[in-house]
Amino acid sequence: MIDSLINFLILGTIQGSIYALLAMGFSLVYGVGGILNQAHGAFYLITCYLFYWFYRNLAGFGLIVGMVVGLVVVTLVGGLVYILLVKPLKDSHVGVVIVTFAFAFLIEQVVKVSVDSLYHDMPLLIEGSIEVFGVEILNHYILVVVASLAIVTLITLFINKFKIGKSIRAVAQDAEAASLMGINVDRILAYTVMISAFLAGIAAILYVPIDIVAPHIGWGILINSFAIVVLGGLGSLPGSVIGAFIISYANAFFNFVLFMPEISALMPIVIIVFMLVLRPRGLFGKKEID
Amino acid sequence: MRIIIVKKKISNFPSYFRDWISTFRAKVTIICLIGLCLVPLLTQNPYFLGIFTTFMIFTLFAASWDFLAGFVGQVSFGQAVFLGVSGYVTAYLIRYLSFPWWLSLVIGSIIAVLFGLIVGVPALRLKGPYLALGTLSMSMIMYQLFLMGSLATMWEDAFGTLLFGAEGVSQITPISPNIIIEYFITLLIMCVSLLILTHITKSNVGTIFKAIRDDETGTSASGINTTNYKILAFMISGLFAGVAGGLFAMRFRGVNPGVFQPLYSFYAIIIAAMGGLATISGSAIGAFIFVFAGELLRETQDLSLLIFSVILILFIRFAEHGLLKPTLERIQELWDIVLGR
Repeated sequence: MIDSLINFLILGTIQGSIYALLAMGFSLVYGVGGILNQAHGAFYLITCYLFYWFYRNLAGFGLIVGMVVGLVVVTLVGGLVYILLVKPLKDSHVGVVIVTFAFAFLIEQVVKVSVDSLYHDMPLLIEGSIEVFGVEILNHYILVVVASLAIVTLITLFINKFKIGKSIRAVAQDAEAASLMGINVDRILAYTVMISAFLAGIAAILYVPIDIVAPHIGWGILINSFAIVVLGGLGSLPGSVIGAFIISYANAFFNFVLFMPEISALMPIVIIVFMLVLRPRGLFGKKEID
Repeated sequence: MRIIIVKKKISNFPSYFRDWISTFRAKVTIICLIGLCLVPLLTQNPYFLGIFTTFMIFTLFAASWDFLAGFVGQVSFGQAVFLGVSGYVTAYLIRYLSFPWWLSLVIGSIIAVLFGLIVGVPALRLKGPYLALGTLSMSMIMYQLFLMGSLATMWEDAFGTLLFGAEGVSQITPISPNIIIEYFITLLIMCVSLLILTHITKSNVGTIFKAIRDDETGTSASGINTTNYKILAFMISGLFAGVAGGLFAMRFRGVNPGVFQPLYSFYAIIIAAMGGLATISGSAIGAFIFVFAGELLRETQDLSLLIFSVILILFIRFAEHGLLKPTLERIQELWDIVLGR
């Protein structure tokens, strides 16, 4: 019983930190550009497989090289997706949704054709473990929590203090007025999608070593991010961080305390439906007037 | 009022028909129909007829998606839910309760309509693009539910064998052992369904649907209960996707949890996008290309899906009208030149 409670606390925290990164990126893109990015899981997948491929084929420095290449490539891909696919179709919601869905599908197939469709494992980023109050905690877990906290703080600082961050907030409030003030809205949106892709990439690098690598994982990431964003509030960054922890603890509770993985697989849809019926704008969302 | 119009149509049947047949579209439609009827005379090869049957089932499936997305503006990524639910019900009734195929198909489609209601009600809260992800998660969850052995076991303990686990239901008797009869029944069902769908889009209800698509706030401001009409649209779409699902289960002699994958929703989207959004019959041309190209690339399934996703991106990005309308215009120009007009 104690063991399962400790498992629940540790794994809930780990998953929460990871999903905070993913949901923040997802929510940012929706909040700033009103773009519903179905390719968010695909960003995760790209980094995942680049990381895996370099680790596999490059002895020695594979992990480091894979990490760097994965992050750089996914950020560039994010920018390209915005410029080539989303921007020309921005006026039609249907077009954006379908084209990003198709892109996610494309990446899944590319991965299947170029690597394979099997499950793979990755080694931990740092080996070893420490003991806290008689409980053994992997060093990797500590790295995950510290890194994700640091990145969430950095992104918040970036958005609040820096010039680009301020432009991002301006575009989020009113794109038209922002463009009248001399802000290049398209460039800012491209930066936003790139930040979101970068966050997905970081999440992939931190989470892959304790998860699996397989072509279909992108969809699960997408749906969990969506559930978190619905719970936390559309376009609200603190909401998505808190929502990520709520959902992850609930997930871990069903998985490690009650031993009912079936229920935890059903969690996203249950949360989506309940939130939409009870409080459609989420816990921290702004009231929308149309 | 409507009854009078219908009466007029019936009493003036020959002339009404003559008016219709004189249009260019009607001629093309008739030629295509005659072509489809002639196929079994040209070849009795079960393999080719099977491909044609698949093509017709996918046409119907994609048309049901096209109706929802193109005419009502509700982009659903959970069309596979309707396909899978109806497929499972039909398969179950035929295999275990030995119902006749038509009754199973009807019951399966009705269950799919109920699912349309279930999907439609929360969907009303999901404005705009969020609907897409809501329906996508719905289909993922259904996939998990039917795939997961443990949940199926839990279910079995409580209610007996119902969800069948990862193998699904197999060994269903087809519509008829004779492939030609199966072919014609599918053709008939497809034509009638497409006719009904086209008719709905041209009726008063269809006008309301288009109004909801173009301006939902404006529509509700003019005193139309958009909620009810959106639910209605989901139910209609669920009905036809359900018919496709039942036919699908009988055509492939079984169903497994794979039918709930986003893959099948993707099929519907790519077929409809190739044919052109908001043209019900465009699905036919899209499905024709999709099924036959898929058959040619059968050896490398992953590669063919890769090609199709690139095609979908290109179509949505550069040719949003799809193939049907531009092709028809070209043919009509050619036709006019040939006739010397």
